[in-house]
Amino acid sequence: MRIIDAHTHPVFMHDGATPAAARRLVAHGRAHGIVKMVALGDVLVHGRLPSAAQCRRINDETAQLKRWHPDYFIGFCCLNPTLGARAVEREVERCVTQHGFRGIKLEISNNARDACMGAVMAAARRWNLVVLQHTWSQTNIHQRRFHSDPADTAWLARRHPDVRVIMAHLTGCGYRGVLEAKGLPNLFVDTSGAYPEAEILDFAVQELGAERILYGSDLPIRETSVTVGRVLGARLSAMQRRLILHENAAKLFRL
Amino acid sequence: MLIDAHVALGPWPFAPLPERTAPQLVAHLKSHGINRALVSHLGAVFLPEPMTANHALFAAVRRTPALLPVPVINPALATWREHLAACLAAAPIRAVKIIPAYHNYSLRLPSLAPFIDAVNAAGLRLIVATRLEDERHRYHALALKGLPVTQVAAFLARFPSTHFLCSGLYKPEIETLAAAHENFSADIAFAEWLNTLAVLTQKIPARRLLLGTNTPLFDTRAQVDKLRLARLPAKTLALIGSANATRLFGL
Repeated sequence: MRIIDAHTHPVFMHDGATPAAARRLVAHGRAHGIVKMVALGDVLVHGRLPSAAQCRRINDETAQLKRWHPDYFIGFCCLNPTLGARAVEREVERCVTQHGFRGIKLEISNNARDACMGAVMAAARRWNLVVLQHTWSQTNIHQRRFHSDPADTAWLARRHPDVRVIMAHLTGCGYRGVLEAKGLPNLFVDTSGAYPEAEILDFAVQELGAERILYGSDLPIRETSVTVGRVLGARLSAMQRRLILHENAAKLFRL
Repeated sequence: MLIDAHVALGPWPFAPLPERTAPQLVAHLKSHGINRALVSHLGAVFLPEPMTANHALFAAVRRTPALLPVPVINPALATWREHLAACLAAAPIRAVKIIPAYHNYSLRLPSLAPFIDAVNAAGLRLIVATRLEDERHRYHALALKGLPVTQVAAFLARFPSTHFLCSGLYKPEIETLAAAHENFSADIAFAEWLNTLAVLTQKIPARRLLLGTNTPLFDTRAQVDKLRLARLPAKTLALIGSANATRLFGL
């Protein structure tokens, strides 16, 4: 079983940034069949509105992981879109040209519908990057001013059909979120986030097709055996499992 | 051989979950290596009094010895003594469960003291369900939250000579409570972090952790793999997987 984990935070609140910790994480992943991890960065270590310098530090840590384990980590560039187009363009260009990053990670600096997202999507288009948008149903959280609901991330993908977008956190998006993602071929959903609530992955496959779903763990917040186990526990064909666990990510990240 | 301390029968109104019969539940659990399970009825969560669901539970598991019924009692109801007596008369039970958050009372409820005395006198273990689901995903019209950890801590301090099974605690909550209280065990259904059990057993002895899958709300395979694939000595895995439940419930 070969797995690509499309959603990890190898460095989390400063933990994990040493060579020894990175080695342990790679060994942990390999023991569970994870052949590659998308490293999204220590995205909340400086709060929800990191400065340009703080974004650079987060991305430099991801680049360091890539240097230590170039065949294992895929880097995503952490951004704060509210810093403006110039800051976004500069940091994306730096992360792509100097570090070979493959995507952009957006946390909760702003809502996915905000005007500042224009520069982010333009940069993604220019550099052919995947945009992973943190997403969670705002039905009970009530932070929509800066926190994207599935409807917001779907809106973003609909507005930019030539940019590939990952709606993070299947369980956090819930059944309504799955339905928001329908009919948008450039929008993918990752399985990361929250506890392994039964049946929602089956529902997502039924509504979206296995081709639109990526395995993601959200480690270290989540346990790899649990996040893989929920895919293995769902009523899926062997081909559907292969797509979710590996093939879709390999295609999306051009591996 | 695994024993699951956190399983339910019956309908859950907020998600399209499989509603299995008792034999189907046994087959499902066995397919994941679980040979015995402590089972409550989800109807007891929402009905105005839990005995209708408890009787449905007793009837459902009568011919499935692998499922050990755990009736739910609401000690805020005037008739809790009758309900407890009826449960004791209806089936050989090892434990009863309370679900304060769903039954609209706190762990400061005065009648909990005589209730716990009665539970202890009957030789039963009390399971305190602190939550049944991730509050962020609850049905939008329900303003329910899990029990605050401070309230659980005060409860454990109030009854120091009784050992409880606290069900549904998050990992940080287990760690917080374990630092100050020894009179509880916890199931691992809502405990999760990278290398969960290796991390958790540094904060609470393995002899106080029990496998709990929260089937059918959570995926059984995923929850069992949390234990099965944990990098811990076989003896520790055996404690969490079955030996602790055997000891705690006198199985």
